[in-house]
Amino acid sequence: MKKKRKLNNYSLEHKKYLKKIKVDKTTTLIAQILIFCAIIGLWELLTATKVLDPFFLSSPSRIFVTLVDTFKNGNLLYHIGITLYETIVGFILATALGTFIAILLWWSNKLRNILDPYIVVLNALPKIALGPVIIIWVGAGTPAIITMCILICIVITTLSMLSSFLSCDKDKIALMKSMGANKFQILFKLILPNSFGEFVSVLKINVGMSWVGTIMGEYLVSKAGLGYLIVYGGQVFKLDLVMSSTVVLCFLACLMYILVGILERKVKRH
Amino acid sequence: MDNYLQLKDVSLSYHTKEKEVLALDNITFSVKKNEYLSIVGPSGCGKTTILSLIAGLLKPSGGEVLLENKPIDKNTTIGYMFQRDHLFEWRTIYKNVILGLELNGKSKDKESIERVDDLLKKYGLYDFKNSYPYQLSGGMRQRAALIRTLALQPKILLLDEPFSALDYQTKLSVCDDVHQIITNEKQTVIAVTHDISEAISMSDRIVVLTNRPSKVKYIQDIKLQDIKTPLKRRESTIFPKYFDLIWKELSNEKKEEVK
Repeated sequence: MKKKRKLNNYSLEHKKYLKKIKVDKTTTLIAQILIFCAIIGLWELLTATKVLDPFFLSSPSRIFVTLVDTFKNGNLLYHIGITLYETIVGFILATALGTFIAILLWWSNKLRNILDPYIVVLNALPKIALGPVIIIWVGAGTPAIITMCILICIVITTLSMLSSFLSCDKDKIALMKSMGANKFQILFKLILPNSFGEFVSVLKINVGMSWVGTIMGEYLVSKAGLGYLIVYGGQVFKLDLVMSSTVVLCFLACLMYILVGILERKVKRH
Repeated sequence: MDNYLQLKDVSLSYHTKEKEVLALDNITFSVKKNEYLSIVGPSGCGKTTILSLIAGLLKPSGGEVLLENKPIDKNTTIGYMFQRDHLFEWRTIYKNVILGLELNGKSKDKESIERVDDLLKKYGLYDFKNSYPYQLSGGMRQRAALIRTLALQPKILLLDEPFSALDYQTKLSVCDDVHQIITNEKQTVIAVTHDISEAISMSDRIVVLTNRPSKVKYIQDIKLQDIKTPLKRRESTIFPKYFDLIWKELSNEKKEEVK
């Protein structure tokens, strides 16, 4: 069924209604663009006229120049690559492991009750406090950063997925049982597909969290990556570098979020 | 067969930390083959519990449930329908309907699949087999849920207030649909409901339960089988008489509850 109809078929009132929606949408977009331009413009103006000191605040034009320079000498892509690699590996491992642990906890009530206090503590603990321990255990460098990223994401993944598994309608489970389903079948044919919506929201949360984990990890131990650039830039007072790296970070996080959104829509259609 | 399904002195206790609650107390009744039996009773009296016992989802504390003189076990095929249709939103209607077959490794069994196709065609869902549940009306969804249950050829069909989530008009027409399907497919049914009119219009016999701990208070035969559809039965002159009889039994119970 295609919902394409000619505009002529609509009544005048409906045309007005459609037009109103369109106008609303356009004005919102225009306002959003205007705000963006205003911030950039004001920033550039105030720093260029030295009302604000560009040494502390950098400026859009300086950020642009820095980005072009670091891109040209190949450093930017190298650092992006490192950070992206750590984030994506951490993101995937944390989501997979967290979901797997949630499945185990769903499977066994006993295990869930026994582990409950540990999970509560682990959830409340600021994971960054484990930084030094991680460095000693897995060594300074990429493995430590990925571990940090996993630690940050995994608890929330496990808790969200578990609560979604446990909230499955009791009657649906009884229905499966009355048709002779075993526990595996209940898991794969009911619990998991039923929690798909929650899984996508966990993915979206983890996009944000994995960036937090990676950048924190890079603050602690790293010789490369965007987090490293930010810390390094701060230490030598190169605010242009700090700001440029932050802008790239914003851009990458957005991109990853959009990709998850596209994945969501693709899978939902089937 | 007079004693197709038998409940013999069935009792059941719930255990909570604070106390032990006797929910069912020596329930005894039997169901004939191809009979439609309704259970009515005050709310919270354990009607659904009886269905769970028959389905084998719960074990009785005492007494036994026999189907064709054999105790019910895991391999007995029993159809169970709930208040809501519980169609899985991520499956097409067809995939929903063959869910039971899939669980029992029969989804490639030619005979079973043909039967399902037949049912879908007969009850007007074949054209919608590739639709998703949200695309169907409440009545169609309930029919799909019924076909999903029938696909496994259950020995007995348990209905747990299957019409109570529908609005009144839909309910009347779905009752007719379901009644027709059940009669055609020669199913034996035990239904639980709080709607006396629905029970009278659908059933051959009605069991009235007491407050908790529930006992069988009263069993009423309904002689409306000559009239074909539940909707028409509601117009019969003896319909209100049955209603009064059962209403009296039930309201006595309710008064005792207040005491």
